[in-house]
Amino acid sequence: MHRSALRAPRCIASGAPGSDLSTINPIIFEVIRNRLIAITEEMRVALQSVSGSPTVTEASDFFTGLFTPVGAVASMGFQVAYHAPVSGAFIRHIGSKPSMTVADGDMFIGNDPYIAALHQNDVQMVAPIFAGTEIIAWAGVEAHETDVGGMDFASWSPKAKEIWQEGMRIPCVKLIDGGEMRDDVLEMIVTASRLPALLGLDIRAFIATLNVARDRVSELARRYGADVVTEAMGMVIASSEARMRARLKELPDGEFHAADFLEHDGHGNVLYTLDCRIEKRGDALTLDYSGSSRQSPGFINCTRPGLMGAVCGSVLPTFAFDMPWNQGALTPFEVVAPDGLICTAKFPAPVGSATVETVWVTANATMLALNKILAASPHYRHRAQGLHAGAMATFNLGGINQFGEPFGLHLMDPIAAGGAAWPGKDGVDGGGPITSPVSCIADVEKNEQVVPLFYFHRRLARDTGGPGKFRGGMSAEVSLTLGGIEQAHALVMTHGVEVPNGHGFAGGWPGATIRQTWGRNAAKDGRLTDGEWQVFPPKPGLMLMTNRDVFAVSWQGGGGYGDPLEREPEAVARDVAAGAVSPEAAEMVYGVCHNGLDRPATEARRTAIRLDRLGRPFTRDPEKMFPGAPTMALSESLFLAHDRHGWHVITRAGYILCTGSTRWRAGAVAKTWDKLPDTFMIRLHDDLAATTYYCPATGTLLAVDFHRRDEVPADDVVLDLDAVSRAQRSMK
Amino acid sequence: MGFFVGTDVGGTFTDIWVSADDGNTRVFKSPTTVDVLGGVIDAIRMAAESYGLTFDAFCAGIERFGHGTTIGLNALLTGNAAKTAVLTTRGFGDTLEIGRLRRQTSGMNEFERTDAYLRNRIPPLVPRSRIVEIDERIDANGTVIAPLDKAQARAELRALQRRGIEAIAVCTLWATVNPVHERRLRVLIDEELPGTFVSLSHEISPGVGEYARMSTTAANAALGPLAGRYLASLEARLQQASMRVPVLMMTCAGGVLPTSVLNDRPAYALFSGPAGGVMGSRATAKQIGLDNILTMDVGGTSFDVGVIVKGKPIMRSEISVAGADIRVLSIDVESIGAGGGSLASVEFGELRVGPRSAGANPGPACYGRGGTEPTATDADLVLGVLDPANFLGGRMQLDTAAAQRAIEEKVAKPLGMSLTEAAWGIRQILDSKMADLLRRMTIARGYDPREFTLLANGGAGPSHAWVLCEELGLDGFIVPAAATAESAYGTGNSDVGLTAERPAYVRVSPGGKPTAEHLARIAAALDSAAAEVRSNLGLAAPKATMTGERYVSIRFRGQTNHIDVPVDGGAFDLAAFADVTRRFETQYETLFGRGAAFSNAGYEILSVRVMGSAALAPPAAATKGEPLTSHKSRKVVFGDPKTPVGTAIYLTTFPQAGASVEGPAIIEFPGQSVVVPPGATAAADAFGNLHVTRTKP
Repeated sequence: MHRSALRAPRCIASGAPGSDLSTINPIIFEVIRNRLIAITEEMRVALQSVSGSPTVTEASDFFTGLFTPVGAVASMGFQVAYHAPVSGAFIRHIGSKPSMTVADGDMFIGNDPYIAALHQNDVQMVAPIFAGTEIIAWAGVEAHETDVGGMDFASWSPKAKEIWQEGMRIPCVKLIDGGEMRDDVLEMIVTASRLPALLGLDIRAFIATLNVARDRVSELARRYGADVVTEAMGMVIASSEARMRARLKELPDGEFHAADFLEHDGHGNVLYTLDCRIEKRGDALTLDYSGSSRQSPGFINCTRPGLMGAVCGSVLPTFAFDMPWNQGALTPFEVVAPDGLICTAKFPAPVGSATVETVWVTANATMLALNKILAASPHYRHRAQGLHAGAMATFNLGGINQFGEPFGLHLMDPIAAGGAAWPGKDGVDGGGPITSPVSCIADVEKNEQVVPLFYFHRRLARDTGGPGKFRGGMSAEVSLTLGGIEQAHALVMTHGVEVPNGHGFAGGWPGATIRQTWGRNAAKDGRLTDGEWQVFPPKPGLMLMTNRDVFAVSWQGGGGYGDPLEREPEAVARDVAAGAVSPEAAEMVYGVCHNGLDRPATEARRTAIRLDRLGRPFTRDPEKMFPGAPTMALSESLFLAHDRHGWHVITRAGYILCTGSTRWRAGAVAKTWDKLPDTFMIRLHDDLAATTYYCPATGTLLAVDFHRRDEVPADDVVLDLDAVSRAQRSMK
Repeated sequence: MGFFVGTDVGGTFTDIWVSADDGNTRVFKSPTTVDVLGGVIDAIRMAAESYGLTFDAFCAGIERFGHGTTIGLNALLTGNAAKTAVLTTRGFGDTLEIGRLRRQTSGMNEFERTDAYLRNRIPPLVPRSRIVEIDERIDANGTVIAPLDKAQARAELRALQRRGIEAIAVCTLWATVNPVHERRLRVLIDEELPGTFVSLSHEISPGVGEYARMSTTAANAALGPLAGRYLASLEARLQQASMRVPVLMMTCAGGVLPTSVLNDRPAYALFSGPAGGVMGSRATAKQIGLDNILTMDVGGTSFDVGVIVKGKPIMRSEISVAGADIRVLSIDVESIGAGGGSLASVEFGELRVGPRSAGANPGPACYGRGGTEPTATDADLVLGVLDPANFLGGRMQLDTAAAQRAIEEKVAKPLGMSLTEAAWGIRQILDSKMADLLRRMTIARGYDPREFTLLANGGAGPSHAWVLCEELGLDGFIVPAAATAESAYGTGNSDVGLTAERPAYVRVSPGGKPTAEHLARIAAALDSAAAEVRSNLGLAAPKATMTGERYVSIRFRGQTNHIDVPVDGGAFDLAAFADVTRRFETQYETLFGRGAAFSNAGYEILSVRVMGSAALAPPAAATKGEPLTSHKSRKVVFGDPKTPVGTAIYLTTFPQAGASVEGPAIIEFPGQSVVVPPGATAAADAFGNLHVTRTKP
């Protein structure tokens, strides 16, 4: 069993500012802390200004950060959070190689997922920052490069069986030696790419970014002293650790579980599980992925750096939303995962599409499990929710563009999937992922101006938002053909066509699954014609696209929150009027008749649906009904209640589901689905099923679980009830 | 007597600046009123009274009337603008809703950005129910792919008729390259909904990128009826009082425009306050012969910085207003939450200052309005920088004990520091944040701040400036005579100016040259923009001499960000193109470092721009003032909180030319305190500007 702490080795013993361990005063500390944030921001500006990759300039698929000499991230930008631990590992790799000399003015480049990268497209550079002869910090920068070679353009090869078939691997190479560019090395790197000019421009952007970091941190060290700066960096990290440990102490102890799935490995439509089991005690938390599937033969795997990135990207937005993002917020988390899983793939497994496949789905499972902890906390339950943007579909295009130049594009529109609902408000329509706080998509016109695309629409897709008391955000959808050229090679692939990754919460449903369709001969001269349409499986892969073909795709909606039958009829009526929900779904899923105007009909319809869910009359056995008030909430319709028999889990109606533990599922009415009604717009993989749980007394939907057909869903929240009792007593 | 008048409506006060041919310039502040107009009239009345004139007599003497207002901004922020519909291309009606995913995080500060729970606080400018999709499509080359379905458009417009729509924004895809459908839609609107205010995107914001263009056009349409009404009634009121000149409105880009030109494009004046401040500083700098200026303004909640290089303010092409990207050429004023009201707090043993602000209510603890959290103003009071009896010219008595209590309890005790150490700490953290912004605006853009002069504006600017000079290695700073009303001063001292833009996309592969067709496309765009500027400026200032500057927006092929580089007059030929790329690479290397330019990538030209201006006669300079004499002294902290320094205090409203004092000193004006540290000298020039110079050690 491989256990890895998310912490980097401590560089110095340092406590929170003002504590006995610190020697610099809180004022200087705060001044330096603000400078570090300002420097990371300047790094972002430099990278985005010089870079030529739309993934960088528009979608913010990049990372900038400042690290301690031992690779602990001290300050990072608000971009892709997955990457923070990766650059740290890269820095430690340099330190671990005796053959690698590090001098002032050096810069290193690398992208090997078996050393430190999420996948080969994520090219990174780091630079040591010296004060005299000593390294006082490292600066790191990374960006997704559209093409780094390999058997297929864009370096994602559905047919790859080993990593040598994918993009080039740069283990760790000194590109700048004492301030001098090694032109021969640069040439070797860009030559491996189908888009050498683009990669060359981005490498220049990396250098500009690292130069900014080096100049500014050196200046800071000259002003305040190198030792003060390194100590302040240690304190910044210690401060976030103190905040995270304080947060963990506030949250309930227990075991929590969530799983997410991903289908198709490029070779076959196999279903893989990402299983996250959390044990949380006091101010520490263990994330155990041992229950996940074995590694796959195809390019969807990720290596251990990918797993650590996924954990980082999940923990920060979910638990560290109000604290500075750095290593300290990650230190209290321990990761357990044996080698050889789909998320800890062993060499030479292919990992080309790791970021949008296993890394993404690992983060999904992790965030879902973490949210279950929030839901059981009185202080944080208002933030407990399902998943935003459960998948990021791929549409890549390559060939000769309308200007006669070789081109390759990686469409970023698919990040405009739906946001998850909160307990109290709907999810953001087209909200996108929360693992990169400031990502955005390019204008349709800006795309059409520089790449050979022609859009028929880019809009929000009806009925894609996960139904719930609060609705998940709708996904956007696009339909497009080629503009200005006759043909090009397209790569279409995703997961989430047959797995609803945008899980709902507390009885809320997931958003719609991805629907990718292809219309052959469906356009002529930019106008739609009758063509032959087909619905694509998850990974149709590489194909020739002509300017007669139309690709139309809608992505996943955000997860809903709570039973949709509890949504205000007026809110459903507004959704219908705005085109967010179809009249059919309003009636079938939300039980709202005649646009919500007919209240009695709506009530009758909702009661009928509740009875239909149970398949029997409501159970109101007095022995099963808890007479008093509950002590605390577990989720929207589940509560903990206490009497002389001990702790019970009860529903909102007071129905006792279980006693003595929080394993409530056995007491609810369960129904398992191999196929869901069409109105949900959720397709299920042959090996995947959904189980819904209802309150026997009211038919209220308590939870929706997705699981393998041959498995029974496990109880996902097992609270330490002794700890709950202790907390209750101490409150009194 | 003749008066030059500048007025600026802020959130709290309406400022007026007056220059008369008799001597000193004068500044007055009157509370801003709900109807805005009333506050402006009140301010003018205050000025008139100070000259012993009736309102009408004063107005009759006005030779120039500059005006800036936040009325449009407030209307957008509070949703009180006109009821607006948007017409756009079929398939793209959710553009404002999706907002490129940017709308949901718009306006979030550095502490909020990591928290998805706080997203999506600002709804789209126009709700989806008022967006109408029209059957039509034009492609990137301007080719009509699907002709406009007039019957469908008419039917949609008729449906709008019943819904009380006051304004319509038209933004169709690629209208910037071929405006034929937008123009036809205007004709149809005029026929079906006569009298409705209409804005066409290719006229209001002719740039590629439908989200910002649609936002800008929608904002413009939503403001049109309202701004027009406001300006018309202001002008009518003043002309009724015998004012003979037009109201000249400050625009985001820094030029002023008469209402006749601005009425169709109110979005151009959306963010006039910060622009007015920078233009005021530019006028001050011109007066004393300075070229490179850093302008700073410290108010209650924010610290604003603008940069003027060789007499020209640095511009940006987009601003974020009411959650939307508004594509209007604007003076680049960066802002952070750091001001007198910035709150200090201790959490986990760490002292944080800002961006949270106490605002005006309850305000700093020393305001005695129930605030218990310490602010930067409280720190200044404890440090001796502020006089409790002479705040805002004595209009407000400050409660020193309350300030001490707040800092002692919330900062000093938790950190184990003395009161003055804690107060000084609050100042240091705030000042270092301000210095970080100044660095970002200069060093990060390749400029050496030591080649600039710092102009300190706003109530708290002149008390922070000396620290910022030390931080950035500047020799000193200048407090303009109108520092407490620099935006008003700017509106009264700016030339008439209008910028026109035209898209012109040209792509040049590595080592290649633009074709004759490419060159002609750029030349035609330049000519068309120049013509728009000429005709409008001709209306605005018929007798003035016009000047125009031409720019080309260019980037390396594949980049997203571009740089605007100047183009010389004359034909746009291959030589002109070579000049453009050469200038681009020089500017690029200034920004990103030597060797950063990468001509192997090829170039893309995106658009052209003509900035026209028509010079107006400047007001006569002030000459009179009062000598600076010290009235008293008090202990003030300069750097070392353990040893406050005995500091001479001066009171003045307008220092006499040549008057000078040695630091340590504080010169108290109504509404601001100029801090002159030990070893520095303050000297007034002939215009009432105060030059504070550090003596080199």
